[in-house]
Amino acid sequence: MSRRIVVAAVLVVLVAAGAVFAEVCLSPYVKRLAGPEKFLYISAVDADGRDNDFLAVVDVSLPSPTYGRVVHTLSLGSAGNEPHHMGWSDDRTKIWLGTLLSKRLFIIDVAADPAKPTIVKTIDDISAVTGLHGPHTYYALPGRMLLTFLSSADGNPPGGMAEFTNDGQLIRVIKNPADSPYAYDVAIKPDVNRMITSSFTPLRNYQKPLAQWDMKDGGNTLIVWDFKERKVLQTLVTDPVPLEIRWSVKPGKAYGWTNSALGDSIWFFGQGKDGKFATKKVADLGKGCLPADLRQTPDDRYLFVSCFMKSEIQAWDVGTPDRPRLHDTAVVGVSPNMMHVTGDGKRMYVTNSLLSTMDYSEKFWVRLVHIGPDGRLKVDPFFDVDFTKFPSGSARAHDMLLN
Amino acid sequence: MATRQGWALATALLVASASVASGHQPAPAPAAGSPLAPDPSLAVIRPAPDFALSGVDGADVRLSELRGRVVLLSFIYTSCTAACPLLTQRMAVLQGRLAEAGLFPAQVNLVSVTVDPERDSPAVLARYAQAFTANPRGWRFLRSERDRLGPVLTSYDEWTRRLPGGDIDHPARLHLIDRAGQVREIYSLGLFDEKQALLDIRKLLREPR
Repeated sequence: MSRRIVVAAVLVVLVAAGAVFAEVCLSPYVKRLAGPEKFLYISAVDADGRDNDFLAVVDVSLPSPTYGRVVHTLSLGSAGNEPHHMGWSDDRTKIWLGTLLSKRLFIIDVAADPAKPTIVKTIDDISAVTGLHGPHTYYALPGRMLLTFLSSADGNPPGGMAEFTNDGQLIRVIKNPADSPYAYDVAIKPDVNRMITSSFTPLRNYQKPLAQWDMKDGGNTLIVWDFKERKVLQTLVTDPVPLEIRWSVKPGKAYGWTNSALGDSIWFFGQGKDGKFATKKVADLGKGCLPADLRQTPDDRYLFVSCFMKSEIQAWDVGTPDRPRLHDTAVVGVSPNMMHVTGDGKRMYVTNSLLSTMDYSEKFWVRLVHIGPDGRLKVDPFFDVDFTKFPSGSARAHDMLLN
Repeated sequence: MATRQGWALATALLVASASVASGHQPAPAPAAGSPLAPDPSLAVIRPAPDFALSGVDGADVRLSELRGRVVLLSFIYTSCTAACPLLTQRMAVLQGRLAEAGLFPAQVNLVSVTVDPERDSPAVLARYAQAFTANPRGWRFLRSERDRLGPVLTSYDEWTRRLPGGDIDHPARLHLIDRAGQVREIYSLGLFDEKQALLDIRKLLREPR
């Protein structure tokens, strides 16, 4: 057998097993990194809302002389947007970055020069295009992007989803059903043809300072969809405000986890033999945790929860998926929020801004946690990107993508 | 040598997929919990950009000439050792399923466009098609010089980047085009399922002309 055939055969296996080695927080349709990350992109909100928001580029290439430093900032050209989450296009050439307080959405090219991204398209009024407000999750489909929105255009429920071509042309809008109007995250498990969406709170609530929030104005449901049919199959109940949807990365396995922000809990969702999904509370994170983010290792063994109000990160062993066991904790700094686990599962970058209306820390940063093969967490004492000393002052570091 | 390798590669891939290819039965009705969706929602993504490229016989083939048929379009190159042979093999499996269902070549056509016209001469492309048992009555392998090809690739968001060693990095997508010439689904090679694609095609064929 020729070398070429062997290579091809190996690649067949690799493609089939690709999801196992991927950055598991990303859509499974996103192209994987060929090697270790070189750049970390961070959505940054000007802290006092007076200067332009921006995308920060941090050098995370270990051999580089500028490792661990901000090497570029891409101004978004306006202030007060609350740039929040981001997502890769399927071919990993563009970042979609949206905002929660304005109606702007930015499509950013990183293929031409990964160190110096450029805005290639700005949609100034995404609500006029979709009838929705507050794009949250940016989930790549082949040649397209699927976005969730927290509200309708008027800032009230229902939220929904919209699909776009990779160059920003609207394909379709799907509003949340009347009995489950709140929206937040989306994640798809293509090999079982199921999509699950979760529920937060709309603009009318989150735009106010946290002390004025109506804590009952939020969702407590997950919606199970037939992905290919884009059809609601079931509505499942959890504790209040289930946020991130993390499917098991194991092929064919139809289960996963979500974090209830106001229930201080982890919930398991899974498909039974009759094809129906059910939920159950499987972990109590401790009162006052406010779990803001949930991530997992590429081997599906550990979940990481950021306790925004308790300033710790918890590692949960999910070797038995519906019986998580607290495995380790780490103190990274005040109000840890977004996390991003590398494709090899060895590192996790952490930021500490959630929303400008919710933040309570005065200092913003990006830090690094090393994940041992045993799932133990160790904070890197040398990697500490200070987000308080930009020429425009302090900036709130939120979502991250690696390149 | 290259020809023998190409044949051997195609054979290896087809053998590797024997378990998939041997069961050329019409797709069964999905059971409870089945991942297959018999009634997929296939929104119009956009009009399929039209193009004219050369077939392996040198004659131009225009995409819009295939209106009235469902078309599955892919971009490949023959010296590729990564995604392309797998992608073409998947299309070969689908060709078999479609033929057994009586849909190929009368109602459904396949089109493969090379992104590497410098190395993929008409003769090379023809041998590649043969190696994957492509039926030329319904599966066209197309090429053109770079000046004609470039705009086609751009219109399908199909960038290419030459890598050290000669490989070409490019998105491994398949575009499903309805009988009216509109893109209705885009598949990722890594998660492409021929059974679901057949259901998608059947859905498009059920739509009124």
